[in-house]
Amino acid sequence: MNKPPPSKPHEITELLEKWSGGNQAALDQLYPLVYEELRRLARSYMRREPKGHTLQTTALINEAYVRLVDQHSVRWQNRSHFFAISAQIMRRILVDHARQHLQAKRGGGAKRISLDEVMIVAKERSEEVLMLDEALANLARLDPRRSQVVELRYFAGLNNSEIASVLQISENTVMRDWNLARAWLYQKLSETA
Amino acid sequence: MEPERWAQVSRIFNSAIELDSEARDAYVERECGADESLAHEVKRLIENHQKASAQDFIAEPAFANQSSSESKTLAAGQRLGPYLILQHLGTGGMGEVYLATDARLDRRVALKVLSPELAHDKRRMQRFQQEARMASALNQPNILTIFEFGEINSLNLLATEYIEGQTLRQYLRSHKLKLSEILDISIQILSALDAAHEAKIVHRDIKPENVMIRSRDHVVKVLDFGLAKPTESGSSTHASDLEGDTQYKTAAGTVLGTVNYMSPEQAQGFAVDERTDLWSTGVVIYEMVTGQMPFKGRTKSHILVDILENEPVSLSEVSTFAIPDELTRIVDKALAKQLDERYQTAKDMLIDLRKLRKQLDVEAEMRRSVGPALVAKSQTTMSIAGTPTVETGGLQTSKAIKYVILLFAAIVVGGGIWFATKLRHVQEPPSQTTAAPVTKQSLTYSITVQKYRNNKPFEEPFQLAKEMLFERDYQIRLNVNGPKSGYLYILNEGPHEKGKAAEFVVLFPSPKSNGGSALINDNERIHIPENSWITFDQEKGTERVWLVFCQKAVADLEPIRGFVNDETKGLITDSSVSDRVQQFLRSHSTDKPTVEQNTEQRQTRITSTSDILVHAIDLEHQ
Repeated sequence: MNKPPPSKPHEITELLEKWSGGNQAALDQLYPLVYEELRRLARSYMRREPKGHTLQTTALINEAYVRLVDQHSVRWQNRSHFFAISAQIMRRILVDHARQHLQAKRGGGAKRISLDEVMIVAKERSEEVLMLDEALANLARLDPRRSQVVELRYFAGLNNSEIASVLQISENTVMRDWNLARAWLYQKLSETA
Repeated sequence: MEPERWAQVSRIFNSAIELDSEARDAYVERECGADESLAHEVKRLIENHQKASAQDFIAEPAFANQSSSESKTLAAGQRLGPYLILQHLGTGGMGEVYLATDARLDRRVALKVLSPELAHDKRRMQRFQQEARMASALNQPNILTIFEFGEINSLNLLATEYIEGQTLRQYLRSHKLKLSEILDISIQILSALDAAHEAKIVHRDIKPENVMIRSRDHVVKVLDFGLAKPTESGSSTHASDLEGDTQYKTAAGTVLGTVNYMSPEQAQGFAVDERTDLWSTGVVIYEMVTGQMPFKGRTKSHILVDILENEPVSLSEVSTFAIPDELTRIVDKALAKQLDERYQTAKDMLIDLRKLRKQLDVEAEMRRSVGPALVAKSQTTMSIAGTPTVETGGLQTSKAIKYVILLFAAIVVGGGIWFATKLRHVQEPPSQTTAAPVTKQSLTYSITVQKYRNNKPFEEPFQLAKEMLFERDYQIRLNVNGPKSGYLYILNEGPHEKGKAAEFVVLFPSPKSNGGSALINDNERIHIPENSWITFDQEKGTERVWLVFCQKAVADLEPIRGFVNDETKGLITDSSVSDRVQQFLRSHSTDKPTVEQNTEQRQTRITSTSDILVHAIDLEHQ
């Protein structure tokens, strides 16, 4: 069965509280803790799930949340924050894996990576993930909210209603933001291709 | 790109992609005017939008393995008998769920494709069909309506009403519920159960995943009546088999399958009756109040043992806020392990909950009333305002209010100053003629009221169709939707002396709702403003709110968009434009639409036989 979470729920909950309260240093401490947990869960998911089973990022983040955050003392706003930070982390994990995977395929990979790590991002999607990550960084400079909508949907796998509640906007706005951001990203990627 | 430029591009793009391809180019050119590079920019983006959606560009999250697309039986755009598949909504225990339109009636439905495991089990399919038929006869606003059950292309399908909203599970994750909201949800669940039990249908699987909360009006819908049956898994009905039971295998995307809501008799695999649903509702209420489950355990077996053997920690001990003793008593009675000690009918439990809500309403009203003369009146008001439509966004955006439009006169009652306003509909329904004219336009609207005190939101917002007593600092939001898509314009006409020019404030289109577009989709409820409120100012006179709705953009009203900015705050400052608006409204308000008020749903429907619907709501002082 599952190992116990690596850190005390209270610690993460407190850090979330502090971060929600505007303490940026708390985010620096929070980041590695959540990162470790998500990465560990992602790997165990890959081992656990039979081939052909749909793997959902939201399920993963939900599980991380349940395991990391002290449910009794957490305020509901913190959940939104948790999802926002998890989306960023998932993005980093996925981009790192995609990069390693492409290096390994080209034979230039300096370090060996285990099979289950490679499998997290499907082979044919590695390139898409890397290109999108870059284009999304450009979009974030132009329009941070719309870029966050894409991050939450593409990297964290959230649906429109979940995104709406994380960003505190309506579902209609999420849909419109998504259409615009996706068109913009498509345009950027087809320009560079 | 400059931020202003990007804002322009995004506004035009968002409105344009909602139009037909023929109308689209003309719209873009009109909006961009002489700015050719802007038009080029927008058109290129639209082109890429079309390509991106045709190719399902980034439609799947990165972190899903490739099989996720294969696991869907149907693809968007596919036709299945009368149904056109629009979107995959999710996969649950019973199978996959799609959003589809039914071409015969031009309505949106949720289409469930039953999983092959279920479809291949003949005995269960028979039961399933029989119950689906029975459940489809249930006609109660809190029960999800079943439209049709059948087989097309050897797929077993169930078509139901489509609800835009969240499950209570999702809602609990993102909202902290207030006591009044908990009571409201519980009462609606029990109203559904009461109707079903009357028809001898037991739900057997009441849990937050099977309760939907509709976004637009917070109406609760209980799903899968007579369909979900965790205890009826073919030959195995004994508790010891449950762990291996495929029904409990979690569907893709859910982390936990659950036995938490099972009654003791269910947990033991005994026959169940209506009272099992009351137990499960008790568990749901307990969870809404405390955020915790009354019965817990590391594994399913541990939870089942807890259900059978232990008493939960009292509601009042676990709750983070003060709760009335009566609610503790109600939940305790629902969670009585002995069947004869439990509530015997949904009606009994419903009556107790309604009594409690009424008592709390009266107490709250007594506390805030300033004069005895008003108490009686305010109480009736509260009963109209029973269902709170809570929007958390609104509570924090009071500072964002830009529109100062409506006014109130003061009446002094007792020691306090009260502002009372009556909403009256200017137009009366036309007398019926023998040949009913063809309905061309229809809109439904309601008004959400948020009470403010000392500049702070006070109580939950509530919705009304008709009239109530207003106090100083009340703020409102308009909710509008219609069965057909079209262009909506809403203007506020300020008080003015006869013969003098009117002053108009544009309430819609506005950047604060619908992404700035005047075009509203069919059946999509628009909130105006989306996340903040319209405030009233305190001049004397009569205010009028004009609703104009048409399938096409209204040329006479298009120029008002120019005044929707931070500088004018919607006020039309150009007299030639406001004269044109006034002329338009006067000449079109002769065709009076039919007005129907639905006090139950707290909304008003207006229908018109002409191409352009024009309706005025008067805000009149008593």
